[in-house]
Amino acid sequence: MYELRQVDKHFPGVHALKAVDFKVNRHEIVGLVGENGAGKSTLMKVIYGAYQPDGGDITIDGTVVRFQNPRQAMNHGIGMVFQEQSLILNLTVMENIFLGYEQQFVKFGVIDWKAMAQAAKRQLAKVKLDIDPATTTSDLSFAQRQLVELAKVLTLEERIDGDLVILLDEPTSVLAKEEVELLFGLVRDLTKRASFIFVSHRMDEVLELSDRIYVMKDGAVVDVVAHDEAEVDAIQHKMVGREVDKEYYREQKQKPYDAGTVLVGFDKVSCGRRYSDISFDLHPGEVLCLVGTEGSGREAILRTIFGLDSPTAGTVTIKGEPVTRFAAQGGVSRGVGYIPRERKIEGIVAGMNVYENMTLSQMGNYSSGGVLKVGEEKSLARAWIERLGIKTPDVYKDCGGLSGGNQQKVVLAKWRSGGADIMLLDHPTRGLDIGAKEDVYEMIREMSDAGVGIILVADTLEEAIGLSHTILVIKDGAFQKRFDGTPGAKPTLYDLVHHMI
Amino acid sequence: MSFERIKPHFPWITLLVLVLLVGIANPSFFDPAGLLSLVSDVVPLFIMALGMTFAIYIGGIDLSVQQMANLVTVIATVYLANFGIGVALIAVAAGFIIGAFSGFVTTRLYVPSFVSTLAMGFVALSAAKYLSGQRALYMDAELRDASFGWMFGRTAGVPHELVIALVLLAIAWFLQTRTTFGRALKAVGSGELAAVASGLNVDRVKILAFAISGVFAAIAGLIFSVKLSGGDANLANGFLLLAIVAVLVGGTPLTGGVGGVVNTAIGTLIVMVIRAAMVYLEIDATQQQMVFGIVLIAAIALTIDRSKLRGVVK
Repeated sequence: MYELRQVDKHFPGVHALKAVDFKVNRHEIVGLVGENGAGKSTLMKVIYGAYQPDGGDITIDGTVVRFQNPRQAMNHGIGMVFQEQSLILNLTVMENIFLGYEQQFVKFGVIDWKAMAQAAKRQLAKVKLDIDPATTTSDLSFAQRQLVELAKVLTLEERIDGDLVILLDEPTSVLAKEEVELLFGLVRDLTKRASFIFVSHRMDEVLELSDRIYVMKDGAVVDVVAHDEAEVDAIQHKMVGREVDKEYYREQKQKPYDAGTVLVGFDKVSCGRRYSDISFDLHPGEVLCLVGTEGSGREAILRTIFGLDSPTAGTVTIKGEPVTRFAAQGGVSRGVGYIPRERKIEGIVAGMNVYENMTLSQMGNYSSGGVLKVGEEKSLARAWIERLGIKTPDVYKDCGGLSGGNQQKVVLAKWRSGGADIMLLDHPTRGLDIGAKEDVYEMIREMSDAGVGIILVADTLEEAIGLSHTILVIKDGAFQKRFDGTPGAKPTLYDLVHHMI
Repeated sequence: MSFERIKPHFPWITLLVLVLLVGIANPSFFDPAGLLSLVSDVVPLFIMALGMTFAIYIGGIDLSVQQMANLVTVIATVYLANFGIGVALIAVAAGFIIGAFSGFVTTRLYVPSFVSTLAMGFVALSAAKYLSGQRALYMDAELRDASFGWMFGRTAGVPHELVIALVLLAIAWFLQTRTTFGRALKAVGSGELAAVASGLNVDRVKILAFAISGVFAAIAGLIFSVKLSGGDANLANGFLLLAIVAVLVGGTPLTGGVGGVVNTAIGTLIVMVIRAAMVYLEIDATQQQMVFGIVLIAAIALTIDRSKLRGVVK
């Protein structure tokens, strides 16, 4: 009924969807799985109209349709239940359900609240939620809000003719076990009204609920499995694809680290609700990888070491000194470098040129009495452009105009040239093409050889396994397991996944 | 050529076109003596706009400058007899403290700068009213000339006011382009999060930016006061709008990060030419603010960097 044929989508430097075929039949639940960056979100955005494909067709019952925006998609029966809930918390449940569609209840210019409440009751009954529609949304539990969101999407049923397709994006990520079962029962029940596309990190849930499962990797659908034939292992293998390539991650260059010295020590450190009771040591030359799902607390640990987040309990030691005051200035002066995930926002300053970006964290070294020595800045920039092979016409080029890989190199040069010997890398290869990724891996090995301690939050699990000496698995802010990553004895993907989810 | 590419050149092209238009309509505009006096007249406004540039360059705004100048006219007049040329120091200190306080409120108490500086402006206004007893005060001509007479002479036909303006411009330009502080300002204005993640003390940079804005507003007030030989809590009224217009038509957008003090020099000249044109066109003084209000909106709409707004304007 709803079908994508050979759908393509490009972003600058990235081929995000490659000739994707995707089909949803009437009354069907379709699962969609893939690693981070496999193209799931892009595909969903194409489906609900937030992105327009560059190639291929979207058809509904054989008719080609084109959506300019999500509202047009909704008018064709495509509804989205967002992961980040889209309800406005200070409005009542019924106001949320009919947000933007209040006109039907207007009599003589004012809203007939009674009629709206009755209509809302009918919608809530569809999701078996027995609450007063005049309740303020913020008073509901998270699970209840999820159901309200679903009820809101189900109003499409009355509004449009034809079939409904409802996307569920990670609907279970914050639900308790019994709430998940409730939701699943409901979704199965609702298949008589609509088809569903179910996206989740939790493989067992996808297997349980879906009639068919699409497996994505690198922007392409690599397999479609029917419910009865689905096996967790086989699907995970497809998600990861090729055998982990040792050359690719420069495993042959991985050398043992200096276990006698501790650069960063975490002793039972907690930070509010983000993570708790985390302990580890980082040594010179070590690549320590934090592995976990989105929001498991990995980034917060990096931010604590850099000084951006203060811990609420425990002791952080950097080079033997306990850290008492948490501020980024302190982190920088202790020799900590931070490569943030949001390269364009936190990594480089767009609008500033190459040398300005490189000396930003170490202006003291390139000035006297507060006056900049621009000549020295430029020669520093030239040296590092040469050393890292940064592709830029000259040192005056605005970093906002460089490609992602070159931006990342500028950020790396900023910290390395300033003598940082503790490097925090948050998704350093996100959004880079293969060549640029390999450059980053090469640089990680180089730094490690030079005795830099590296804490990495990798973009994919393969990357984490391939690059690291040590892997810590973290789930919901709590430590799960430590793996040793000596070449030849690296943990497998399945070892990790098992502890992550 | 796309609009984005000529955007940085927009200010001086505007200035050139305006000068030519006014000059063709009224050739006497090019009379050197007349031009010089026009330029000297605009000096206090220019200095105020110069300071404002720092606040806008980091993506903030300083709405207290006019009241700051008002307060300084009163301070200068009241204390001239006691401290002589020393009132200049008092004025600068007052500007620094009030500006720094606005900056403190903005960065540490998370009050947006348009509110914090507006509030501090009223504090300054009230202080000016209290200090002056709500009267217009006058300087003793002899005392004034003894301390500040040097401000208004001419050397080789160049008014000293203009020299002061150029010296301040040079200082501001040096601060902006040659110092670590200036570099930090640019980083904060262009990408505050990246500046934080590079370990810059962003709060201190911002506080200093507002302090500098206060200092320049105080200097503007001092010159204005000496020029008019008196002080009054309303003396500098009407400057605020023009100062903002000067910065924005100069090409420093409200979103910060680009433009700078040289742009503000051009912007001030644009304001000057528009003002002169309105005199030739016999637009009533009461209507001039209307014109500048419209110019301000046009300048913001043209210069603002929409990619930084993330879709929400309130």
